[in-house]
Amino acid sequence: MSVLLKLTNVAVFVGDTCLLEPISLELKQGQPLTILGQTGSGKSLLAQAIMGLLPDTLSFQGDIEVFGKALTLEQRQALWGRDLVMLPQEPWHALDPLMKGINQVAEVYQHVQGKSQNDAQASAQQDLLDVGLADSAHKRPGQLSGGMAQRLAISAATAGGAHVILADEPTKGLDVSRRDGIVRLLQSRSIEGSLLTITHDVAIARQLGGSLLVMKQGRLVEQGDALDVLTNPQNHYTRELIAAEPKSWPDVSVALANKTTETVLVAENLAIERGGRTLFENVSFSINKGEVVGVVGDSGCGKSSLGDALLGLLPVSAGLVTRSNHTAKPYQWLKLYQDPPSAFTSSVSLGTLLKDLVDLHNIAQERIVPLMTRLNLPESILQRTCLDVSGGELQRFAILRALLLDPVFLFADEPTSRLDPITAKDVTNLLVELARETGCAVLMVSHDPDLVRKTCDTVITL
Amino acid sequence: MKFTMTGSQWVGLGVLLSLLIFAVLGMMFSPFSISQQDLNAVLDSPSAVHWLGTDHFGRSMLTRMAHAVGLSFALGVLCVVTSSLLGTALGVWAVWGGKKVDHILGVMVNILLALPGLVVVLLFAAIVPGSFWILYLAISLVQWVEYFRVVRAITQNVIHSPARQSSQMMGFGHWYQFKRHIWPAIVPSVFTLAAFGGANAILTMASLGFVYVGIQPPLAELGLMTVELFPFYSDAPWLLAQPLVVIALMVFGFHLLAGKRV
Repeated sequence: MSVLLKLTNVAVFVGDTCLLEPISLELKQGQPLTILGQTGSGKSLLAQAIMGLLPDTLSFQGDIEVFGKALTLEQRQALWGRDLVMLPQEPWHALDPLMKGINQVAEVYQHVQGKSQNDAQASAQQDLLDVGLADSAHKRPGQLSGGMAQRLAISAATAGGAHVILADEPTKGLDVSRRDGIVRLLQSRSIEGSLLTITHDVAIARQLGGSLLVMKQGRLVEQGDALDVLTNPQNHYTRELIAAEPKSWPDVSVALANKTTETVLVAENLAIERGGRTLFENVSFSINKGEVVGVVGDSGCGKSSLGDALLGLLPVSAGLVTRSNHTAKPYQWLKLYQDPPSAFTSSVSLGTLLKDLVDLHNIAQERIVPLMTRLNLPESILQRTCLDVSGGELQRFAILRALLLDPVFLFADEPTSRLDPITAKDVTNLLVELARETGCAVLMVSHDPDLVRKTCDTVITL
Repeated sequence: MKFTMTGSQWVGLGVLLSLLIFAVLGMMFSPFSISQQDLNAVLDSPSAVHWLGTDHFGRSMLTRMAHAVGLSFALGVLCVVTSSLLGTALGVWAVWGGKKVDHILGVMVNILLALPGLVVVLLFAAIVPGSFWILYLAISLVQWVEYFRVVRAITQNVIHSPARQSSQMMGFGHWYQFKRHIWPAIVPSVFTLAAFGGANAILTMASLGFVYVGIQPPLAELGLMTVELFPFYSDAPWLLAQPLVVIALMVFGFHLLAGKRV
């Protein structure tokens, strides 16, 4: 088994601060290597260092051997495409939005491999057939779904003939059902070489097998055979990561005993149309006080539209939404957003935003501190703007703002999909707990069926 | 909202402020009036009495330049304030007021855009020749369209942002949403447009003066002075240079102040 890539004490610095502590690893032929860790753990820096893509502000130490030879930065860059390739995060952003899919792949054959135009087209056609995109070969990336775009990006990236593939969060933003396909495709592409995957998703690490490195804040905390590490984790952090997978969460929904029968909202025969396409029809359900209702389905099936329609943010094309609670004010029907930073204005500090809310609705000051403690929000975040606060803190701040208004209904639109697994678990549990305590009904949309099954009382599948 | 100015923006501001100080001091302390003639001293070079020399009627160039710069600044600032207020208000209203308002405003803007700006101003200037206020009205009318288009485009994004939607759902009113969401998003662009708008207003007034349809003699105006002093360019080049250099400095100052382009 030949060693394709060997790193000896590779470290990354910004000025004098160490972002990635010295790390050594070997990537062997046919044995995939997975690096697991949360955002900010330095995983992506490592991939950039290997490729020679580090920004100029960062400096780098250590030796990198590719195919048994120590190579300089320029020599490594010469290997791009032909021998060594990296799939950037969210590869579909790397596609040309104006070019037909097949041409993007053919271009690589023509200019990197030096094939004639006809040969290149034929090879590209074959590639797309292999990944199941033959029918969509002449579509532009904007017309493809996330998973299809990802397959196209992988085809284009590997068309240069590279067998050593570095994949940085290859399944970010994809539905669970699409995820497995992408992982299989990556495996088949790297069969003659090897695959180095960077991910925060324990399920991917398990699926890929091979060896596994677990990283936390720029430090290696555990390494070994993937299955060994995942079934028998030694490090506290690894255990936490595994426990944060929705699959292994404790069942919260059964803990609910004092269910009330007071309905908050009734939806009858709902149908929603967007852009001339019917997303769903004949959906009926009712939500009780303090109940957590989950909505699952693949992306594009109208999960988020359903929630928006219940809040009156989108028109329904048929059916009826009835709010049974007539005493509640309009501002007690609220929404939690998917991407926390986009749900706040960055023009003022969070403290000012909170003060605005307190002043508007005459909220008692003494309610704030206990709730902030409960949500594990430090006082200091009030001085910062939403750009300087982590996603998890911001989402908890959003929950704080919502709860201060005593909501009767909260629509949580994938509230944790942009968060790290450990943070996601904390935030979801807090949200569900607090909603039950305050008797607020929650509609929780998620693309992860496990998450919904573990936390919700009722599940609607679209 | 923090305003951080780059070095070149400070230089631009410095240039404009020094010109403004020159204008104010010149208007306040000069012993001559802009129309006081001295036919014994025509086309004099700079001296202790007439610091910047005298023109072809023996009028003090320093006094005339100070008044001309003052007039240009007054027009520039008035036009910027009026057109930015109007353009911003209508731009936000177009997005917020619904499809009908947007449509009507869109038609109006397209009509204005279809006419070349200078022609509109010329048309107005021809109706009431030599009036400062008609120039102001005409230039503002041409300039607000720019603000409208930029503000409308940015506001459209902000209106559909989760952040504004969230504020609205929590019960905050229109003014709050404008103050916290729309204004911070548009202020950098409005500021840049305003700086360019100031330079444009000054250039437009000078162009009109140059073709004799703007401010009329004996008032001092930079374009008018340029054309009046033009016949004497070989006898007294320093006189012709003065209004030209000042126009260039003002435009330069405003463009530096604008910083990066929108």
